[in-house]
Amino acid sequence: MSDTLLDGGTLAEGCHPTTEINATVNGRKVQRRVPNHYRVIDFVREELKLTGNKEGCGAGECGTCSMFVDGKLIKSCLAPVQKINGCSVETIDDLDRDAGMSLLQQAFHKCGASQCGYCIPGMVMAATSTLRRNPGASRDEIKEGLGGNICRCTGYQKILDAVELARDIQSGAVPASALEEDAEAHSFIGQRTRRLDAPAKVTGAIKYAADMFMPNMLHMQVVRSPHPHARIVRIDAETARAIPGVECILTCDDVPGVDNFGVFIEDQPTLARGVVRYVGEAVVAVAAETLDIARAAVAAIHVEYEKLPSLFDPHTAMHDGAVQLHGFAQNNICKHTRIRKGDVDAALASADVIVEQTYDTQSVEHAYLEPEAGLAYVEADGCVTVQSPSQNITHHRHMLARILGRPINKVRMIMSTVGGGFGGKEDMIYQGMLALAAIKTRRPVRYVFTREESIKVSAKRHPFNIRYTMGLKRDGRIVATKMVMVADGGAYALSTPGVMNKSAILGPGPYDIANVWVDSIGVYTNNTPSGAFRAFGAFQSEFATECHLDLCAQRLGMDPVALRRINLMRDGATTHTRQQLDRVLAVECLEAAIKAAGWDAGVPYRQGQGKPQRNDFNYEGSRQSYLIGGQTQPLVPRASSKSDVHPVKISIN
Amino acid sequence: MLTFDHYLTPKSLDEAFDVLQRMPAARLLAGATDLLPWAREGRAGDVHLPAVVDLSRIAALGGISQEGARIRIGATTPISALQRHPLLMQQAPVLGACALWFADDQIREQATVGGNLVNASPAGDTQPALLALNTHVTLVRREGDRLIERSVPLSEFILGPSRTMLQPGEILLRLEFDALPNHGVAFEKVGHRRSLAISTVCLATLVHLDASKRIDDLRIAIGAVGPVPERLTDIEDLLTGVTPTSAALREASVRVADRVRSRSRQSYRREVLSNFVERSLAAAIAHAGLDLPRIPKESQNV
Repeated sequence: MSDTLLDGGTLAEGCHPTTEINATVNGRKVQRRVPNHYRVIDFVREELKLTGNKEGCGAGECGTCSMFVDGKLIKSCLAPVQKINGCSVETIDDLDRDAGMSLLQQAFHKCGASQCGYCIPGMVMAATSTLRRNPGASRDEIKEGLGGNICRCTGYQKILDAVELARDIQSGAVPASALEEDAEAHSFIGQRTRRLDAPAKVTGAIKYAADMFMPNMLHMQVVRSPHPHARIVRIDAETARAIPGVECILTCDDVPGVDNFGVFIEDQPTLARGVVRYVGEAVVAVAAETLDIARAAVAAIHVEYEKLPSLFDPHTAMHDGAVQLHGFAQNNICKHTRIRKGDVDAALASADVIVEQTYDTQSVEHAYLEPEAGLAYVEADGCVTVQSPSQNITHHRHMLARILGRPINKVRMIMSTVGGGFGGKEDMIYQGMLALAAIKTRRPVRYVFTREESIKVSAKRHPFNIRYTMGLKRDGRIVATKMVMVADGGAYALSTPGVMNKSAILGPGPYDIANVWVDSIGVYTNNTPSGAFRAFGAFQSEFATECHLDLCAQRLGMDPVALRRINLMRDGATTHTRQQLDRVLAVECLEAAIKAAGWDAGVPYRQGQGKPQRNDFNYEGSRQSYLIGGQTQPLVPRASSKSDVHPVKISIN
Repeated sequence: MLTFDHYLTPKSLDEAFDVLQRMPAARLLAGATDLLPWAREGRAGDVHLPAVVDLSRIAALGGISQEGARIRIGATTPISALQRHPLLMQQAPVLGACALWFADDQIREQATVGGNLVNASPAGDTQPALLALNTHVTLVRREGDRLIERSVPLSEFILGPSRTMLQPGEILLRLEFDALPNHGVAFEKVGHRRSLAISTVCLATLVHLDASKRIDDLRIAIGAVGPVPERLTDIEDLLTGVTPTSAALREASVRVADRVRSRSRQSYRREVLSNFVERSLAAAIAHAGLDLPRIPKESQNV
């Protein structure tokens, strides 16, 4: 038996039984005693400090932690550490055998197959596995091999190109000189330019916040609200404080400065102050010697709440008499942006057709592969430094200085490599607690979110409800457009005011419309705060506009492209906010797009009207749908079979 | 997070039973690919177990062999073996077709055939394929010094979501199923994502044609549309002894909609299941050597 049974004595809080692991990692023998609940990823990253392989989800979904165990590629977040006892482990850190970069890594670099870089170690490992098993793998087989790895910056094509390039160089079909840098062209536009950070990303050498260690470092964990809206009656942290290894416990009372921050509206406390406004709001932060001790302390802290009525629907939240979530926001309205141009009512009265429709968009999680993480420490000169993947460090630095009650030159923010942000890392949500803990303990403190925590706590894309009214002439000319948009801003403002502005300004689209009415209203509710997310509000309103134009085209019996061509802004157009534009290329852009798509002009739903089906599907040059199954494993033909191979071709309906 | 007081790695069945005897609350694991994600926030949360017993190093639970017309595979055989083991590729190719849809390369190296049955997820991808192969599972327990085996048909073994006939102190030893080297096969699955998707509907079809192209053996099993996988015995009976035609496949496909017993996305599952039955019958029959044209279907989305 590999583990001797312990004598049954109870272990202290946060301390776990240990186990001895003997393994060969990247060709070197290692022998370590680690907590027995460690997974292989914990052993490699936390114990051996080999941080090339990342932990993206912790649940076997994302593939960033893929490593070889006895030559088999596995997801190390799904394997108990005991599984590698006596085995040999290969991580990305030494895939090149200390020789710079492996062929695959060079090909990734050459093809520009890395964006944020967080998925790349896993991609390189999966591609290595595919080519080791099948050096002549086809593109479809390469796709199959990468099936367990996800990229959130949508970079798959270049990754596939890179694997094909490596395969072809390996087989000698392409000379190794293909890896050399392209000759410098006269213009950078349209040229392949080498990314300076790519070598560090394809080898896993680059450090994201969760990869950083400092001597004497503490680990942070946070007590979060289970209620959407409640008053904090009492916080009992005495038991937790008594646990050996707990260095500090923070509540809002520990904030020395002005504890109200936010991008546009300062409405957010570092840790909940008297009241919690959404499920997952931070209430108490703990810094302790180990993650296990910090988790034990969090479990030992008891917060007594008095539940308050909650608001989950922005329309209800705006009613007179609804619960007020913030004292300053009348009817819970966080931001109301109005655009008024021309006379919409008169124009609607003159329209031949009025089309009305309501559109709803949902809340969306960024799901960047790198969950939030940060490391804070106090430097020798007393300057507190926070390293985190922040997309807005200068502003964060200003907010931090106010929270900490320090002059700005005593606060530093260092932007660590961002493993995907998409706007979700613009908001400061944990940096304040980290800085406070570092100041209080005089020790470095690191905080790494779990995937679940990230989804629960960080901002989402605003869900919008958009009531659309558009008046058109029979020939397709839009005479008036009216949009009333109500967005769920969640418990704190974050980027809501900016998102409302942008959704209003860009909402009616690139169309020349004389009469425009837009109301864009962001509302406080007890939902998870909404914030910036790719397109910053324009996405939601533009979605409604484009859907609405399709609907109008259908009502008018017009080709939807023709309807847009009639209405697009041209040179000299006036925008919805009455800005004069001298040069507009929208029509040229549309023409190029429809040419590339092979657009078959005509009304939609032709088949339903008994007309011939459109002929622009599977247009020459467009990407064919990907059939999986048989291509990578043709079934052995049956004895009685007439034809050679009957692959099981399956596509998802 | 999953924590435990002891992690034990027995090397033999006897050692494993010793542990179970001392610690009846110990949890058995093999690939651990379901267990670790389960013990996370949002599912079971933090789970503490007195002991976990890793069965993956017990030789008696491994091995793949042929015994006459039956194939035997050990419970800790990884799913990847279904795709790569020459014997299985030749004698039971439906398993390879189903393994291709099972999670991803990495998880197929870890997850085990036995684990996929013992966990009894309604969406377990290997279950329909194994059911169509008339699989029996062999369970072993220890009484005194004796190891006592019992064999149970897979159709009876899975009782419901996460519930099986496995008794406390009992271990799934191996699976036995028909060697069917001359059957045409098809496997269908739909889920949210190509890799790692939890099945919304999955289905395995096995068919054998006699010399005059009549169906003399047909097995269709469905999964993920009810609490347990099941065989479509009515369709099997309907088509057995028949020379298949496109019209007969269409007729069979419209009969299966009422088999969907899931609580969610019922109408979607009904449509998919019906399409899958028709398409998989056509594919399996083609694989067995008879190409049938598909009757076009009118689009319902117009």
